Amino acid sequence: MRAHPVRLAAVAAVAVVVLAPLGLVLYQSLLNAPFFAPGAGLGLAAYRFVLADPDFRGAFATSALIAFGMVGIAMPLGGVLAFLVVRTDLPGRRWMEPLLLVPIFLSPVVLAFGYVVAVGPVGFFSLWLKALLGAVPWNLYSTAGLIVIAGLTHVPHVYLYTASALKSLNPELEEAARTAGAGVWRVALGVSLPLVAPALVFSGVLVFFLGFELFGLPLVLGDPAGILVLTTYLYKLTNLLGTPSYHLMAVVAVSIIAVTLPLVYLQRHLLRTASRYVTVGGKGLAARPLPLGRYRWVALALVLAWLTVTVIVPLSGVALRSVVRTWGEGVRVAEVLTLDHFHELMEYPNLVRGIVNTLLIGTLGGALAVAAYAGLALTSHRWQARGAVLLDYLVMTPRALPGLIAGLAFLWIFLFFKPLTPLRSTLFSLWLAYTVVWVAYGLRLISAALYQVGPELEEAARVAGAGQMRVYRDVTLPLVRFGLLGSWLLIFMIFCREYSTGVYLLGPNTEVIGSLIVSLWGTGALDLIAALSVINVLLIGAGLAVALRLGVRLHA
Amino acid sequence: MPELAVEQVVKRLGGTEVLKGVSLALMRGEVVALLGHSGSGKTTLLRSVAGLETPDAGRITLGDRVVFDAGRGIEVPPEQRGLGFVFQSYALWPNRRVFDTVAYGLILRRAGEDEIRRRVGEVLERLGLAALGDRYPHQLSGGQQQRVALARALVYQPPVLLLDEPLSNLDAKLREEARSWLRQLIRQLNLSALYVTHDQVEAMAVADRVLLLRDGRIEQEGTPQDMYERPSSAVTADFMGTNNRLSGRLTAVQEGRGRLEGEGFGLWGTLFSPIGVGAPATGFIRLERTRLAEGPGENRLAMRLETSLYLGERWEYLLTRGDLRVRAWGRSALPPGDRWVEFPPEDLWLF
Repeated sequence: MRAHPVRLAAVAAVAVVVLAPLGLVLYQSLLNAPFFAPGAGLGLAAYRFVLADPDFRGAFATSALIAFGMVGIAMPLGGVLAFLVVRTDLPGRRWMEPLLLVPIFLSPVVLAFGYVVAVGPVGFFSLWLKALLGAVPWNLYSTAGLIVIAGLTHVPHVYLYTASALKSLNPELEEAARTAGAGVWRVALGVSLPLVAPALVFSGVLVFFLGFELFGLPLVLGDPAGILVLTTYLYKLTNLLGTPSYHLMAVVAVSIIAVTLPLVYLQRHLLRTASRYVTVGGKGLAARPLPLGRYRWVALALVLAWLTVTVIVPLSGVALRSVVRTWGEGVRVAEVLTLDHFHELMEYPNLVRGIVNTLLIGTLGGALAVAAYAGLALTSHRWQARGAVLLDYLVMTPRALPGLIAGLAFLWIFLFFKPLTPLRSTLFSLWLAYTVVWVAYGLRLISAALYQVGPELEEAARVAGAGQMRVYRDVTLPLVRFGLLGSWLLIFMIFCREYSTGVYLLGPNTEVIGSLIVSLWGTGALDLIAALSVINVLLIGAGLAVALRLGVRLHA
Repeated sequence: MPELAVEQVVKRLGGTEVLKGVSLALMRGEVVALLGHSGSGKTTLLRSVAGLETPDAGRITLGDRVVFDAGRGIEVPPEQRGLGFVFQSYALWPNRRVFDTVAYGLILRRAGEDEIRRRVGEVLERLGLAALGDRYPHQLSGGQQQRVALARALVYQPPVLLLDEPLSNLDAKLREEARSWLRQLIRQLNLSALYVTHDQVEAMAVADRVLLLRDGRIEQEGTPQDMYERPSSAVTADFMGTNNRLSGRLTAVQEGRGRLEGEGFGLWGTLFSPIGVGAPATGFIRLERTRLAEGPGENRLAMRLETSLYLGERWEYLLTRGDLRVRAWGRSALPPGDRWVEFPPEDLWLF
């Protein structure tokens, strides 16, 4: 195997941007003071302090409990939804799919805020219900409430992988069982379920892993009741001690990564074994949907109920809260309607910058990120050497860093390496962190597009006399133009949605909507949060509308 | 000097050796067919010549230029070998019109605009595509796509044309027409070509010389007649035509003939490989040489006609004698019953 210098350079570059933040976090965790402190020396003092803290232990247990609870809710529900939409005659299943994926593109902090103002103790729906029933039948600010909301909002992740596994199933496998005399449910349980089990298991691990990364939901929903998870414990630590306690934060970060990194590698392993079951023997024939009979409407009611709870309730809450002057018991919506909050927004230069920056990082930053991912994807395109496997592992590693920690690690990188420090207060710092955090996702999008190009199309150009670079320019890139455009739209939405990565990088000139909402949450400026949230949802909605209009597949 | 010389090329994929030391020479104006089952290594060999695969050992020379030599670490990338390649899938770029597709090789060679227009025009004219220059691949029929792929490979006049199952994506009828058309074109243009196919009829029709590949080795090479009429091994005999196969033991040898005795039969055949008396042997006879006879005679067996199949231009008879099953061809339908079958000794080849 020839090791192409360009490829080696790409691997080296990725290794630096991926391993430097990770290494710095690890190094900082082994110091007994922040790295910039004069007397910082190696030691395990920070570990002793954090591991002995009962709050940390409690947060760890809560994180684990929430992660398990989310799997318990999202896995069965996501699996059922996927089966209903892909394989049955559920009414309206054609237009339902994009709706089911909406929660993936919504910022969790916006969703959480939406739940607070919609079904919190003094939320719109809570108070309307209280007027009817005399009491609010639920308590949002509890671990159980958190688990239910986190579980429901992560159903799309399970749906995504199970549905695509179901779609790639050869319908003849099911038809063979039916002609052999098995009924609809017998086929579903005996044939389809075992074949999509690997995808289901994979998505279960994914949800569990996302449970440990959860930040926006517990920050907003856990705060009033004092419920801490690992990420919010880390976030509290920032403000708790007055002075920067980087060494303690690093220890918390390391303990989160210690859980998430093995899970990321487990996911890679599961994805590979899952592909064993991919039976693309089908001739592209869409299978005849299985008839649900009189359960059709029950099934539809289930799907609509889920959509209502996960999308409609929080979004309507946000929208309504952004146009009322005040809200509480005895207030009538019609009397307090106003657009003042949006005007007020314009009076804060940092909030205006946040909106502009969000747009910039979504459009321009998204385009640059796609260009970087495309360059990386091309260097590893059809590369089958040990280096490609190494690159694969490297690219996956940032997945193990929750956005909050990735942002923190990049902040430290910019502070630690003095020549980089001036960049810290520019959008570049944010762009770099975003791009690294989403590198695995972006590469998957682009590789999927690249693999649509048959190898002979490239080889034909090679033989005709074009060098490798020329082939990319003349054949590969023109053929994946649409795939790149789709990737850019998806990255735009992801970057607009992103909030946790920007939290520690937030400063003058690096404000984005997501991180501003997090910091405003601490000050209780609900009016501004509502207005910012609406703008955020509209931005993402615009991206989503364009993507759907162009027929972009919403997942890699 | 051969236009193309392949010497002892070895290629490993994963743990298996796909090519186990293959050598061949292609002379100017000659068409050589690489024939073999799927997995025989024929496409890997073709791709190695093009530079699309890197062999693990051996040497490949184009004219006087060494383009690959594992020992000396020479590997010329495909774009600098200047060969023409026609892909099985045609590999037409879906975003380019016919004219631009064919012109690409000339653009890469920095030909002038006038020259490009002239030469592409000539090739399109020659291949009957003159009116289709503005079409996209999806607006072409399978046969037209195949000719565009050929035009793209021919336009810069490569010294050697490589064709990877170029006709296998055409319908059976179209394939037969394209076969003779392609043969004629290659003759007229005096091309040197290496032609990969799994269809022995196509190989014999198109090529001056046939190389039969099996398990990464050359089983036999020769002119189509040699391969069909004088196979040197049972594998070649089996591959090149449709055969009846009779298993037994060699019981006697005289004057180049041998007696094959199996369960319930004994026949004289021609020895095609050295076999000792008493050793197991297999007899091959082409279906078209197996004849129904009027009555008993030399090298004839009494067999039972089980059924007659109508194949359009002929009838096929299925005959049995105990476990022995034989097929033969004839002109008319025959009712089931007892028949005599003749195995002419010169046509029953013993291996």
